[in-house]
Amino acid sequence: MSQINSPDDSSNNSQEKLLIDVGSTYFKLSNKTNIEQHFRDFNKSILDDLTHKCGQEIERFDKKNIHICSSANGGLSTLIIGVTHSFSLKYATNIAFNSGINIIDTILFQNIEEYSVPSDLIDVVIIVGGINSNSDNFSEDLYRYLDNLTYSNVVFVGSELDVPTIKENIENVVVLPNIIDDRLHIVEDSLKAYLTNLYQQDIEGKEDIKDLYNITDNQIFSTPYVVNKTLPFIHTKYAVVNPFVLLDIGGATTDIHYSKDLVDENIVTENEYDRLVFKKLGVYKSKQSLIFAAKNNEFVYELLMHLKVTENIFEEQSNKATKVLMQLAIFLVLCKISHYKKAYVNLKLLSVNSFVLTGGITKVLTVEEIENIISFFYKKILNSDHNPATVLDNNYDIWTLGAEVEGKELCQ
Amino acid sequence: MKVVTGVVGNDIHVVANRLIDLSLQARGYEVFNLGVNTYLEEFFDAVVETGADILLISSLNGEAEGWGREVPRLKAKYKKLDDIIMMIGGNLVVGTGNAEDIIPRYKGYGFDIVCHQVDLNTGLDSLEEMLKERNLK
Ligand code: B12
Repeated sequence: MSQINSPDDSSNNSQEKLLIDVGSTYFKLSNKTNIEQHFRDFNKSILDDLTHKCGQEIERFDKKNIHICSSANGGLSTLIIGVTHSFSLKYATNIAFNSGINIIDTILFQNIEEYSVPSDLIDVVIIVGGINSNSDNFSEDLYRYLDNLTYSNVVFVGSELDVPTIKENIENVVVLPNIIDDRLHIVEDSLKAYLTNLYQQDIEGKEDIKDLYNITDNQIFSTPYVVNKTLPFIHTKYAVVNPFVLLDIGGATTDIHYSKDLVDENIVTENEYDRLVFKKLGVYKSKQSLIFAAKNNEFVYELLMHLKVTENIFEEQSNKATKVLMQLAIFLVLCKISHYKKAYVNLKLLSVNSFVLTGGITKVLTVEEIENIISFFYKKILNSDHNPATVLDNNYDIWTLGAEVEGKELCQ
Repeated sequence: MKVVTGVVGNDIHVVANRLIDLSLQARGYEVFNLGVNTYLEEFFDAVVETGADILLISSLNGEAEGWGREVPRLKAKYKKLDDIIMMIGGNLVVGTGNAEDIIPRYKGYGFDIVCHQVDLNTGLDSLEEMLKERNLK
């Protein structure tokens, strides 16, 4: 556990808020002056764990002054079926990420027969393709695939002309306005509202999270959604120069939020900041897949050498090993968003002015250790001496600010 | 009739692109203009999303050849592009080049109409002719 106290410990103020963030690995509590962080005990329910470790603190607060957000539920599993990578799949993926969803798989409709049918239950299937004047974007192959799939919700956001056939063939399909307009631009609002709502219902439906309503009167939000809302206000806490990239390397997944200026994509939305998630890239729950990804990266051995360790470090359980794992995670994420590896987006990394790091990583690595990796990445992968500023959010100000923003909006 | 157009690759010469958009509209086409700096996959994807009949690519800065060579491989991956009319124009090689060599080469890449350093209106007239020949207009 770590605890950071600020000197002016203030008295118990009835308006003071307690903010709680439940993650897959840690939970955090923050009041006006103090922030606590605890490792989760997975043998206990979240509520039991919380009250066991922080019961006294929680009792100090009225239920209406406690705000909780959670990223521990793993998120909704989403399967997107679209007709192209550059438009339908890309737009739907973008909207899903910005609605707080973590787990996304995509299928290019024309090759649907080549995809295996996932055996797990899918929370929501999104079907998208074609502008409104283009018809017959889908065929029997779609319905056959869906027949073999188990899912809880299915939503259609493609061409208007296809709606009657889709309705005829897919039971309980929800039809929303097309997310692609007649100029091939993205239209986010209705799908975003639908997914955010679904995500919200999912969080509330999880037994573990439901319990938490015993200690709060306020709605429980998803953490990435809260963080994304904070970014326009980040300069009130830190000297962050736009455009910036925020990395939240967690236990199970890694979240990236980035200024829109860093992409010259065909996606033009109202969001100033977009979000992207790398599932299976984390330092606890996803440790094995992180190591696997590392071993498949041709530069990792050089990186280990640069850090003066060997690959035996992967087998070790030590502070040093955790540090190296986190440094690797930073490196891999940067590779994934650079032109070196074509992912869902490639950011213009040479234009980045600041990197902001938040989450557990800030308790493990120093600014120097992070800068060391970032400059290794720029030299090796981008052949550049570019040197963006590194900002560590080691007091979780971003999350606190986000929860405050959220709290204020709710009170209005 | 729907046309997808744009300037391929890293090319940022925008003037011709604007003229093409306007001329096509004046001739009654429904235009989907992807603008400058458009990659091949985006062109093909736009054709799929819009159900366009014609793909009109421009290239001014000398990159056309490299992209042209990529066309057959990429187009083969798509299952819905067989009927599309493909047209390319602008400066199709580095320097002036010789149309007699250039045209057959680009036809080999899969383009139906190749306009190397040809005036826009002349190029669009040959498109009309092809549409008539194929009884599409
Ligand atoms: C203005 C200009 C620029 C501006 C562009 C500003 C902008 N955003 O548009 C700037 C300065 C940025 C620029 C940059 C470069 N440019 Co420049 N540029 C020109 C210039 C002088 C005029 C282009 C123009 O707008 N013409 C007016 C329009 C209306 O004519 P057009 O482009 O020729 O298009 C007509 C036809 O080609 C045709 N057409 C076009 N597409 C199609 C498609 C079809 C299907 C059909 C039928 C017809 C058609 O229709 C149009 C109307 O008739 C030309 C030289 C020239 N005089 O053409 C060089 C020229 C195009 N540029 C050239 C080069 C090399 C470059 C640079 C690489 C220079 C460098 N070394 O940095 C960069 C490339 C940047 C990039 N990433 O693309 C070369 C290309 C050479 C080649 N292909 O072999 C040219 C020809 C100059 C030369 N003679 O060397 N350039």
